[in-house]
Amino acid sequence: MTFFRTHRTAVTVIAFVLTYVVVKLLSVLPLVNGGPLLNGYYIQLIALAGINIVMTVSLGMVNGFTGQFSIGHAGFMAVGAYTSAMITTVWLHTSVTNPWVGYPVFILAILAGGLLAAAAGYLVGTPSLRLKGDYLAIVTLSANELIRTVIRVTNALGGPRGLGGIPKFTNLEVVFVFTIVSVVLMRNYLFSSHGRSMKAVRDSEIAAEATGINTTKQKVFVFVFSAFFAGVSGGVFAHLLQFIHPDNFSFVKSLEYLIYLYVGGSTSISGAIVGPAVFTVLPELMRALQQWRMVIYPLILVLTMIFRTEGIMGAREFRFILIPQRQRKEVSA
Amino acid sequence: MALLDVQHLTQFFGGLRAVSDFNIQLEHGEIVGLIGPNGAGKTTVFNVLTGVYTPTKGTIVFDGQNIVGKKTYQITQAGIARTFQNIRLFSQSSVIDNIKIAYHFRMSYGNTDAFLHTRKYWQGEQLVDDYAIDLLRLFHLEGHAEDVSGSLPYGAQRRLEIARALATKPRLLILDEPAAGMNPAEADELMEMIHWLRDKFDLTILLIEHQMRVVMGVCERIKVMDFGETICEGVPEYIRNDPRVCEAYLGKGA
Repeated sequence: MTFFRTHRTAVTVIAFVLTYVVVKLLSVLPLVNGGPLLNGYYIQLIALAGINIVMTVSLGMVNGFTGQFSIGHAGFMAVGAYTSAMITTVWLHTSVTNPWVGYPVFILAILAGGLLAAAAGYLVGTPSLRLKGDYLAIVTLSANELIRTVIRVTNALGGPRGLGGIPKFTNLEVVFVFTIVSVVLMRNYLFSSHGRSMKAVRDSEIAAEATGINTTKQKVFVFVFSAFFAGVSGGVFAHLLQFIHPDNFSFVKSLEYLIYLYVGGSTSISGAIVGPAVFTVLPELMRALQQWRMVIYPLILVLTMIFRTEGIMGAREFRFILIPQRQRKEVSA
Repeated sequence: MALLDVQHLTQFFGGLRAVSDFNIQLEHGEIVGLIGPNGAGKTTVFNVLTGVYTPTKGTIVFDGQNIVGKKTYQITQAGIARTFQNIRLFSQSSVIDNIKIAYHFRMSYGNTDAFLHTRKYWQGEQLVDDYAIDLLRLFHLEGHAEDVSGSLPYGAQRRLEIARALATKPRLLILDEPAAGMNPAEADELMEMIHWLRDKFDLTILLIEHQMRVVMGVCERIKVMDFGETICEGVPEYIRNDPRVCEAYLGKGA
């Protein structure tokens, strides 16, 4: 058992690879009536859960760990989705038939989407994060609707008809790599001096300033990289569904991410993983309940918030999320 | 040259003159007290010194550079650290993280190192961990290093707040009512600690305090304020016997 304690990183990597292999096998091997247990529908559901995890973890960076209240995360997702889809579909006409050209273009396109979303985040965050208080909520909400409306009236982006014919670059492998890389990067940032400053801003902005932290700069930076990850998620999302519509990215979508975050536990990365994972899959598994589904689902949400006010995970983290602590040398007095 | 030189400092809030024509010079290594009845403008002076407010008039020169108009974090980085009247810890962070946060602006690694956990990150983290645990030992808080700071007993929270201020490696330490809520025994300990701090960390200390025993016992020089004006200044024995000070605290004819 000591191996598990001394090689935590290795164990985590092995666990992720095994999960992937199992899911992949279940989606290929003919187990049920000559077909795989996980058909395309379930694979799409798993992919959506991965995208929602990245969206929620990035939202948690701003709302949970920096203590700012952003409620328009889907707006940045839209920027990323439309940017990357325009690049791969409209301008470069890439297709999945030639993956050696297609995938490099796809990766560059989703990164470009992320960068443009980050730029939008910078424009939204800079004026509103200078102020202390709830201004960010109002501004992000407006920005979300502004972005959606602009897309709706821009014919070059498909306007109210939406944008279709997007090549399906997002598969199980893409989602696995994208989710793990994104979560690890944000986890790393959180467990650093900069991450501690984020929490300091949340706990007491005045004291954070008094300990030499440029709180405005820290808040804006977190907001910008959060928007970046939302943008990249949008790109991955567009290339999964192959069709995007401005109404996919309305305030209701932003609200979904807020629900995932607070039900999972806003001050824990693990919570921001559990929340969307459970509540993306759960409503689909409840389809058998038919018309009762939309009664049971909100009921589960309400009960969770009553009995676990701080979310499912509270402030606790899974072991594999935490950075191993080094042993301090004992000094005898 | 004085470490801190404040000249003709005046602060208006709308039509209210909170501080008028305040002057103070602090020499390196001094312990100076600022006293006065409630509403005299002491905390306003502290807030102006630390950049929370920009003064209406006057100059503040710290260590040869003008700090008027600078932001709070820039003033802290220049070497002025403070504690708060009502303790403001990062209450959800651990005790040791409170210290590490105060060291943040000295950390050598940037955003990229933070995302990728490069070698520079690990070196920086090791450095700050050693620094923080050593500082906690000096304040007898090392046993609580991993506890959530909000769960510490009151006295320990006060000590941690001072330790956190020191983690920014200041040259001037400003204490806002450090003995608030302390019993006489704790206050005695605090007085001892303030002297020890000055010698150990080579500090200059400016403090606001209401417990006269503490002020008289620890300060070498005292300034008395009332209604924004400086009414008296001098060594403790002089202040104790000054009729203007008695009047400010107790009213005329007392």
